Amino acid sequence: MPPIIRMENLTKKFGNFIAVDHLNLEVEEGEILGLLGPNGAGKTTTILMIATVIRPTEGTAYVGGYDVRKNPDKVRELLGVAFQEPKMLWVSTPWDIVNWHAKVCGLPTEERKRRVKEIMEALDMWNFRHRSVHALSGGMRKRVEIAKVLIQRPKIAIVDEPTSQIDIVGKHKIWRMLRELCNQGTTIILATNELYEADVLSDRVAIMHRGKLLVCDTPKKLKDSIVGGDVVEIQFETDPSPKMVEALNQFKEVVKIMKTKSSTLRLYLNKVEEIVPKIMGMLMKEGASVSSIHMSEPSLDDVFAHYTGLTLEEAQKEGG
Amino acid sequence: MRQIINLLEHDFRNFFRYKWWLAGLISMNLADLFIMAIVYNRMLTPEITQQIKSYFNFFAPGLTVTGLFASAFMIGREVNMERRREIHQYMLSLPMSRWELAIGRVLSGGLRGMVYMSPLLATCFILVGFPSPAQFSIILLVLFFLAMGISGLSIAIAVSTSSLDKFITARGLVYYLLFFCSSVFYPFSLIQQLGQEGRFPMALVTFARINPLSNASDIIRSFLLGNPPFSLDMVVSVLVFSALFTFSAAFAYIKLIERA
Ligand SMILES: Nc1ncnc2c1ncn2[C@@H]1O[C@H](COP(=O)(O)OP(=O)(O)O)[C@@H](O)[C@H]1O
Ligand SMILES: [Mg+2]
Repeated sequence: MPPIIRMENLTKKFGNFIAVDHLNLEVEEGEILGLLGPNGAGKTTTILMIATVIRPTEGTAYVGGYDVRKNPDKVRELLGVAFQEPKMLWVSTPWDIVNWHAKVCGLPTEERKRRVKEIMEALDMWNFRHRSVHALSGGMRKRVEIAKVLIQRPKIAIVDEPTSQIDIVGKHKIWRMLRELCNQGTTIILATNELYEADVLSDRVAIMHRGKLLVCDTPKKLKDSIVGGDVVEIQFETDPSPKMVEALNQFKEVVKIMKTKSSTLRLYLNKVEEIVPKIMGMLMKEGASVSSIHMSEPSLDDVFAHYTGLTLEEAQKEGG
Repeated sequence: MRQIINLLEHDFRNFFRYKWWLAGLISMNLADLFIMAIVYNRMLTPEITQQIKSYFNFFAPGLTVTGLFASAFMIGREVNMERRREIHQYMLSLPMSRWELAIGRVLSGGLRGMVYMSPLLATCFILVGFPSPAQFSIILLVLFFLAMGISGLSIAIAVSTSSLDKFITARGLVYYLLFFCSSVFYPFSLIQQLGQEGRFPMALVTFARINPLSNASDIIRSFLLGNPPFSLDMVVSVLVFSALFTFSAAFAYIKLIERA
């Protein structure tokens, strides 16, 4: 089956600044593709180009076989977008917003009424449906935005940071509903800067940084692919000396050492169960005061760090 | 077509959300009518008084056009707000063509103007006199085209101004230019006379003659008051101006909201 979306050198410049830089990426029909990256990575800009809202500076994307440059009307027939910032007039009400959206997207009257009620109830919005948006919290506005797409059930749903500002219970609910939407045949592009969200929800994750695609694969393969797949984080009471770092580097199993916070070292290594006792011994001999040691499987953050030399959090500060 | 109706629904719903704003506007309009009628009746020279009889009768059609202008112009305020808050991105992502979107917005702005104006027009008929059915159709047609033109103009201004302040300033400038150089508030013969005496630039006199607001007001006057005499040129002037504004606005809307 050909990919439902194909981006070919998709590029967007704002003046001299390249927000999206020659992106080549394919989305398979029926999958949830996570677009993971820190703020400013270019996720939203990419999405807006696919949704025909802004025009690419260079390159193009094919959506359902249609070129976003040449057949934008056809492309829009296939899409539903839940924007990062809820796009609504503050004088309107949630019910008016989602009901009108469903109408514009061509849902027949009966189905529309049923689905509007069903989704609004599922998202705990039914009681607020006639309040003005003005009076709603950020999280509630975000729910209105995501409800539009869940009601619409488009061929391709694009959701931009769907659960930001939403409490943890709400997040799980929305993740479940998005997975369900996907099971019913909708292809989903999920832009996010939350590692956990990308990990649990995506079939494949495309990692973006500074407008470029770094890598794209299933979360499992991405994590397995890292050399020095295991991670040990050692938190010291005081800053570890360069000599200490050097000593740690002497272990041949240690692939890489990163300083994540002021007194914390993150070690990427192999054979964690054999090496940790040896490291402990060495640290004790050197008289280092360790306050905690934490071992973990690699996360998508490690994948991100592997490609950029930065944790997502660090990159976030840089981009935001 | 279906999408244009959806856009009308969207914009009319928002229009009626501002019902207090509208009520405020309409009462300002009515206050204008009475204040101006009193003030101007005293200021007018005897020859002009002779020509237009009562300023109230003269100004009632002008007021109808004023109300139409203010209400049809409101769509621009919304379009401007949508653009500033990037709500236009949502509109652009909907399954409709750019032309449907642009025409839908211009049309709803115009129709909202017609709805707002209808009580003013009715007041005008009741107090000044009723037109024949044929005249009534012409009045409606002309006002509809004028409303479309104004709506288009406001949208064009809305998408090319970045802030609400700038939009309001631009609206003020357009308002003064269009109303000052028109026969909405005073008869064209007066403007013409001032022009001939060299007290008013001739370019502005010409502008007042082709100004669609002048012509729309005068068409109503010629049917209700018999003066100035009706001519087809008046209708043509409104149609040309409106077509021009409507299409350039639709075009500007498409071009400018896509520019990012
Ligand atoms: N309209 C715009 N004009 C100028 N710069 C923009 C515009 N939109 C986005 N950018 C810049 O492009 C970069 C990518 O932004 P965005 O796509 O929103 O990233 P993300 O969604 O990954 O956080 C950012 O540095 C942002 O400041
Ligand atoms: Mg974003």
